[in-house]
Amino acid sequence: MAKDIPMDTLDAVRQPVETAHGLPNAHYTDPEVFDLEKHAVLSSSWAGLAVTADVPEVGDAKPVEFLGIPLLLVRDRQGQVRVFQNICRHRGMILVAEPRKIEGAIRCPYHSWCYSTEGNLVSTPHVGGAGHNTHEAIDKSVLGLVEVRSHIWFSTIFINIDGTAAPFEEVHADLLARWAEFDQPMYHGGIDSSFTLDVATNWKLAVENYCESYHLPWVHPGLNSYSRLEDHYNIIEMGRYSGQGTLVYRQLTGMDGITFPDFADLSAQWDTGGEYITVYPNVLLGVQRDHAFVIVLEPQSHNKSVEHVHLFYAAEKTDEALRQKNAIQWKSVFEEDIFVVEGMQKGRAAPGFDGGRFSPAMDGPTHCFHDWVAGKIAAYDTVQ
Amino acid sequence: MITLDDRLLDAHARDDRTGLIALYAEAADTAQDIDAACFYLTHAYVFALEKDDPATEVLYQRLKAEGRV
Repeated sequence: MAKDIPMDTLDAVRQPVETAHGLPNAHYTDPEVFDLEKHAVLSSSWAGLAVTADVPEVGDAKPVEFLGIPLLLVRDRQGQVRVFQNICRHRGMILVAEPRKIEGAIRCPYHSWCYSTEGNLVSTPHVGGAGHNTHEAIDKSVLGLVEVRSHIWFSTIFINIDGTAAPFEEVHADLLARWAEFDQPMYHGGIDSSFTLDVATNWKLAVENYCESYHLPWVHPGLNSYSRLEDHYNIIEMGRYSGQGTLVYRQLTGMDGITFPDFADLSAQWDTGGEYITVYPNVLLGVQRDHAFVIVLEPQSHNKSVEHVHLFYAAEKTDEALRQKNAIQWKSVFEEDIFVVEGMQKGRAAPGFDGGRFSPAMDGPTHCFHDWVAGKIAAYDTVQ
Repeated sequence: MITLDDRLLDAHARDDRTGLIALYAEAADTAQDIDAACFYLTHAYVFALEKDDPATEVLYQRLKAEGRV
């Protein structure tokens, strides 16, 4: 247990929403607690790392750092997306420094040990001396790339760093069932449909803000004319996921009234419905009839995060101008949230702040997340 | 006169890995002894592996024939 974080303060979090307090300040301000959460919350769960569109073609390789761990996304020869530790098994050298296409083998730039895109070690040049490429002490079959447990859902690459999480389909069975209608092909909108936002905030604050609709009238006043507070509903599944939905989604229209094509075979609920749910711990998802989005929150430190935003459509080709309009609109909405998440981060420096309180009517989704985080830490402490 | 060594260094400078496959194979073909030949063949083979070059298998078999893989 991190020093100076008595368990009873987390007991205060794990109360009903009416009386619960939020997580203590240290969970936003203390690098040691950030380190604890790296293990207890992020590494032990299915954390979002990237999207499959980051490696769209066979042979694509992209280095990605997650919690300081050097990782490598690869789409192998069979088209499967894999995640490896981005290091050579020889001396730990970084294998791939920049995104590139692997034409044949992944060759380490240091001593040229070569790996297949499936992670097998296929060549160890001069390992037995100049011109001798084998040595009895070096068994290539046990020196392949270290693969990180990964799962693809909603075009998102989830990873379980410590290998202890139950299967993804088991952990997220309820959410998969809730959004089963969206289990169909979705197409990344391309370069103009992704952007990043650097935020001076702990990643959890971005989740907490995303979960609730309570702030919409004040922070996103542009919604007030057509998506009032009363048109939104809470989504609270304790121990699983949370978020909010809208009953009045309006399709974006372009010139001549053009709209995006709808996802196939959706029920009537989605004619004017939208849902916005966090896949704990760090992936924010949104679904509407004609497009979806994925936000992967990259925790960089206790007070810095990067939001990787990607927009997806029901068809491979969509109207370019409309796509750009949609990306600009969503970017504008997410930028409106920056001052509140950064403000909450700054506020956590106030000594003695008790973590705050939750509106039972409006903050249930946020409390649900706090409760989940507290539960993960308690479970980790039990194991240690 | 431009030597093979000059051409190798030039290919390295330009990071011409396809060119390096053929040049290292040429170095192997003109080496004075089998150890030197296998050294150069190894380089040719590794660059061929990296590029998925058609010469990969032939180079591998040459090394295998000498017991070097």
